[in-house]
Amino acid sequence: MIETKQLKKVFKSADIETVALAGIDLKVEEADFVSVMGPSGCGKTTLLNLLGMIDVASSGSYRFMGKEVYNLNEKQITRLRKENIGFVFQNFNLIEELSIWENIELPLIYQGIKKSERKRRVREVIDRLEITHRKDLLPVQLSGGQQQRVAVARAIVTRPRLLLADEPTGNLDSMHGEEVMNILDELNKEGMTIVMVTHSHHDASYSRRIVHLFDGQIINENLNRV
Amino acid sequence: MWGSFFRMGFRVLMRQKNYFLLNLAGLTIGIVAFVFIYLYVENALYYDRSWKNYPHIYRVNETYSTGGKEEKMALTPYLLADTLKNNFPEILQSTRLFFTDPSDKNDVSSVNYRGKMYDIPNLTIGDARVFKVFNYRFTEGNPDSCLLNPNSMVISTTMKQKIFGNKPALGKKLKTSIRAYTVSGVFDNKNRPSHLEFDAIISFSSLDKKEQKQLNTNWFWMNCYTYVELADTVNVREFIQRANYFAHMAIGKFVKKQKIKINGYMHLAFQPIQDIHFSQGLLYDSHSNINMTYLYIFVIVALFILLMASINYINFATARSLKRVREIGVRKVMGVFRKQLMLQYISESLIITFTAFILSLSLVELLMPVFNSLVNRQITLVDSLFTGSGLVFGMILIIFMLLLALFSGSFPAFVLSSLQPVEVLGGRGLIFRGRKKHSFTAAGLRKFLVVIQYLVAIGVIISTLVIFAQIHYVKNRPLGFDKKDVVVINSPADTSFRGRASAFVAALKSDTAIEQVATASSLPGYLTEKILVRTSDSSAGHLQTLDGFFVGYHYFNLLKIPLAKGEYFSSAKKNDSVEHFIINEAAVRFLRLEHPLGSYLHTPYTKKGIIIGVVKNFNFSSLHQQIEPLIFMLKPQFVQYVVVRINPYERKEALAHIRNVWKKYNKGYTMYYTFLDQKLDTLYRSDQKMLSLFFYFSLFVIFISALGLFGLSSFLIEQRSKEISIRKVLGGSEKQIVLMLVKEYVVLVLVAGLLILPVVYFFIGKWLQSFAYHINMSLCYFVGGIVLVLLVAFVTVLLKALFMVRKRPVEALKYE
Repeated sequence: MIETKQLKKVFKSADIETVALAGIDLKVEEADFVSVMGPSGCGKTTLLNLLGMIDVASSGSYRFMGKEVYNLNEKQITRLRKENIGFVFQNFNLIEELSIWENIELPLIYQGIKKSERKRRVREVIDRLEITHRKDLLPVQLSGGQQQRVAVARAIVTRPRLLLADEPTGNLDSMHGEEVMNILDELNKEGMTIVMVTHSHHDASYSRRIVHLFDGQIINENLNRV
Repeated sequence: MWGSFFRMGFRVLMRQKNYFLLNLAGLTIGIVAFVFIYLYVENALYYDRSWKNYPHIYRVNETYSTGGKEEKMALTPYLLADTLKNNFPEILQSTRLFFTDPSDKNDVSSVNYRGKMYDIPNLTIGDARVFKVFNYRFTEGNPDSCLLNPNSMVISTTMKQKIFGNKPALGKKLKTSIRAYTVSGVFDNKNRPSHLEFDAIISFSSLDKKEQKQLNTNWFWMNCYTYVELADTVNVREFIQRANYFAHMAIGKFVKKQKIKINGYMHLAFQPIQDIHFSQGLLYDSHSNINMTYLYIFVIVALFILLMASINYINFATARSLKRVREIGVRKVMGVFRKQLMLQYISESLIITFTAFILSLSLVELLMPVFNSLVNRQITLVDSLFTGSGLVFGMILIIFMLLLALFSGSFPAFVLSSLQPVEVLGGRGLIFRGRKKHSFTAAGLRKFLVVIQYLVAIGVIISTLVIFAQIHYVKNRPLGFDKKDVVVINSPADTSFRGRASAFVAALKSDTAIEQVATASSLPGYLTEKILVRTSDSSAGHLQTLDGFFVGYHYFNLLKIPLAKGEYFSSAKKNDSVEHFIINEAAVRFLRLEHPLGSYLHTPYTKKGIIIGVVKNFNFSSLHQQIEPLIFMLKPQFVQYVVVRINPYERKEALAHIRNVWKKYNKGYTMYYTFLDQKLDTLYRSDQKMLSLFFYFSLFVIFISALGLFGLSSFLIEQRSKEISIRKVLGGSEKQIVLMLVKEYVVLVLVAGLLILPVVYFFIGKWLQSFAYHINMSLCYFVGGIVLVLLVAFVTVLLKALFMVRKRPVEALKYE
């Protein structure tokens, strides 16, 4: 599903160049669950952003579902992303002015899906994530764990083939963290490909494979609980 | 310590160059507009207040009525000034100036000095006491005696400079085509805003004795402006009553002696001289008068512009400072005091406001000539801003700038420095989050301010559109005759021209480029005579006033004035025992003539006359007025104007031919001529001036409100940068997100438009009512105004929104 070759990312500011990623070769198969680990500043989030196509690499190649992403134009990339990739962030990134229902519905609106179909699909995910009774509340009225459930619901409502999660439990206590990890585990078992950035060995233990980054390079890959 | 604040301030501003320039531009433009409007208003209010005894100087105006129609005018009979002075000891001084129309001049207004011709823009005749009331400073000659002798001429310093340069003018001879005048004085008219606008005065004693005698006996010959200076102990109200009683008796005697039957009255009004500049609705009043309402509108617009500029400035400063919350957080951790933070912001603010202040005064000085020609004044910044009341204004302006700097600097400092360091440093780069309520009201207030700005902008623009449409309408409305391709030549003032007029006319006709030629002493768009007439069957035999035109043959054919009944004047049917009259349809109704043709009309000074024709109504004065009753009298010997219809395809040839013929027949005389349609356009000069002022207001207001919206939208959109990124990540297209952002502002503009509609409808409707003929206020002007503003607003917000949306989403998300 994902194949990167010599993926590099360099940040330039004034006259200093910071190498965030120094040539990443990574392969992720369909229905895999990969954890990316490493110390702060090693390039984990940068890698996730590149995989999620919300940032562009400085050099290298990125093939997504057989297509070379950097040969596509902006519009095609946007389409590829919104049809296939869902995001979950550490701090949830819900839109505060919109209700829970509206937050979850938003990506479907952007995909141009009809209203009746949107209704059906939003209902399906909120039932599944057990947040139906809170659908009319605003994000600030929910606890962190509940907010992250909403974020997950919003990420999967489009039925993406790839879910990218950036420290999804980072802002949660262990009980709520556990809940979110169970949901991700379930989704993976149903066939969804997941790439997750995490600091937590516990969370990483849910994945099938762990990639260790250090100074922008993969230093170690090991299989987990096969 | 201040030094370090200013150093830091400069660095910050240099780093945020765009912000600095935009803010500077907005404030500068605001001050420029404000200062210009102030200068104009101050100048207008100072009109006729420079005379030494101005609170006691009055102009005598006249209200009169004959046959039920009341008219008010600024002119009075010549004899009034002396008669009043001789009978009322409380009148310290009286004087008079002859009425002259500077837009309708003949060769007498150009003088010859050493073989070179000089045009005197505004030449009048005055009695010897003019400079006793109006105490101009004299650079040459004696103000008390300069107008005593016949053929004396007193000129302004401007004229003197033009003719004599730096050499003395006193005693020099200036020749017109009819006589030579001796320069007997030079007066300085600089910094003397006044309704008196003459550039030179000829002594009254220059008129011939016979004319002087007539002027001194006739109460019905209104041709002078009369001024009186009252003793300061006089009870003015009571004096006016006595003066009117006196005039009433005197006129009664005059009417009896002349054996005139007249049913009417004449009332004298004493107008304080400083009110003249704002008086409206008097016939023959000064062209430079302005409507006080306009002045109020200008003041309101000026205050609004300054207010808008200040609001934007503060808005901008606050919005920008939010970008620096991190810096503040760091400073707070380091232990900065709130006072120091405030001083830091205030010093930055001071840099901007004072740069703007100096920049705007320079701009005002630079643009002064343009401004002066636009408003037709001679204002100088130094005189108006650094002397007398101007000094106060200058001080107020400086204090205002200080306050603005203080407020705009302390507001963000106050809000931001009240935050806890952890709030600002804790990753939440955006202020007011978690304090939902506060953020809502702040945004609400900003939106309200923007709506106010758009209210003004839309109002001014709709007004401009309507004024433009109305002026276009009055210039193009069919008037009932053909004003195009008509050249009006002012005949030489010399009476000898009468002898060669017919030869001159015949010579003009000799070229194919000339279609028709006629003579007249009255024309549409020019001042008309007032004629007293009575009908044969009017029971009491009372006189009524009509407008009168004295015309020669071919007049109607040339101007293409259609006949309703009867016939035009013709030399073939001339019967010398009775006069021939033609009247317009309005006069038929006014005189209640059932069978006008063949009816007789009587006038006090001429033979009785028979009506031989009725012409259809046509507009012979400005479209501000209805068509009045009008009588045409055949006077081929009155040749004040030679009227020429030229072939429109041979304009150049026609004018060249006219010039050649003039040179041949009027050697040594300057030819003054105009196109009739251009002369008619001058009737709307003050309307035109208002249009250009409103046009500039529109530019200012659009610019400033666009800047304001840019500031507000920058602030609000930047606050939403994270939301925009999330939406992008979730698959929102640029178009969708930009539309979402722009939509809100479009709604704001629409709300402003709806709110201002009734106000504009009321005020502009009132202005339109000042025209007897006007356009209907259709919805399209309102829609046009709103669409225009909407477009500007749309583009403004679009720029910012596009900029934000084009950013890669990670930039806003990466600090999370």
